[in-house]
Amino acid sequence: MNVADTIAHHILDHDWGIFLGKIHLPVTTHSVTIFAVSVFLFFSLLWASRPRPSRTGRLLTTLLEEYVTFIRDGVVRPNLGAEGRGFLPYFCTLFLFILCVNLAGMIPQMKTATSNISVTAALALCSGGVILYSGLKYHGLIGFIKGFVPSGTPGWLVPLIFPLEVISTVIKVCVLAVRLFANMLSGHMVLLCLLLIIFIVGKMHLAAGVGAVVPAMGLEIFMTCLELLVAFLQAYVFTLLTAIFAGSVIHTH
Amino acid sequence: MALKDFSAQDHAAITTLGSEFATAEVVGCALGFWLDQKWGTSPWGIILGAVAGFALGMYIILRAVRELDRQNKNDKQVQK
Repeated sequence: MNVADTIAHHILDHDWGIFLGKIHLPVTTHSVTIFAVSVFLFFSLLWASRPRPSRTGRLLTTLLEEYVTFIRDGVVRPNLGAEGRGFLPYFCTLFLFILCVNLAGMIPQMKTATSNISVTAALALCSGGVILYSGLKYHGLIGFIKGFVPSGTPGWLVPLIFPLEVISTVIKVCVLAVRLFANMLSGHMVLLCLLLIIFIVGKMHLAAGVGAVVPAMGLEIFMTCLELLVAFLQAYVFTLLTAIFAGSVIHTH
Repeated sequence: MALKDFSAQDHAAITTLGSEFATAEVVGCALGFWLDQKWGTSPWGIILGAVAGFALGMYIILRAVRELDRQNKNDKQVQK
């Protein structure tokens, strides 16, 4: 058993190799996971949002309302203020989608699509688009460009500061993608490596491998709990940082 | 300087600084490497790219510190 191959097999994306005539369809394990999560979220939320007179139905409605209130009062309002009202649906969608994709990776036989840089880059591009849109909407093109230079900058420094500010804004969006990707990838890699300890030690001697089962599984359970926490945390951080950046573009100093 | 109580926004902004610094460095290096490949100026592109990325990272951190400092002063004035 090659350890590196095993890890790569479990972490990396696999192409299913489906062709429509000569067109290569991008059906991969990660794209299938994302599609499954999207379909699941679409239909389950549609089902949950229907008004129901029963006790369970009301509980479900309250739960959804709590969630939306949490995003509104915890993420959107403190950062975007009153202007953020129109952006609430985006942030609600973003949090729930990232959370579900992260958690899907914890289900056996499913893949963590957010451990693919292309997926997180696409999510960050959406967030970058929202940041750009909010800046253009509230300041116009000229005001948005002016907002990059902090007030009180001497005139001769402006040609130096302006590109720096533009690049640092782009880097902030890149960091959104890199953080989510790195956290999910490393977490799952650690989970796999802890499991592989058993087999690596077992290769030396069977008894040693049996002895390694208990400590390795203990660590595995601990890391799995940590991964569940990270799934929530990273979804929250992604949403919060998008809100902070959009807020800093809207409320320039 | 006495530290004020950090809000969730400050926590997110501070904890993201490390990865912003690293990403600035990586982006600078990648850009330098790409220019090296294009113009055949190895190793100068990657060296200059690394220096530029480092400078950009420092700029991002210093600006974030200035921003936090200004917020702190504003809060103190409000309290007075």
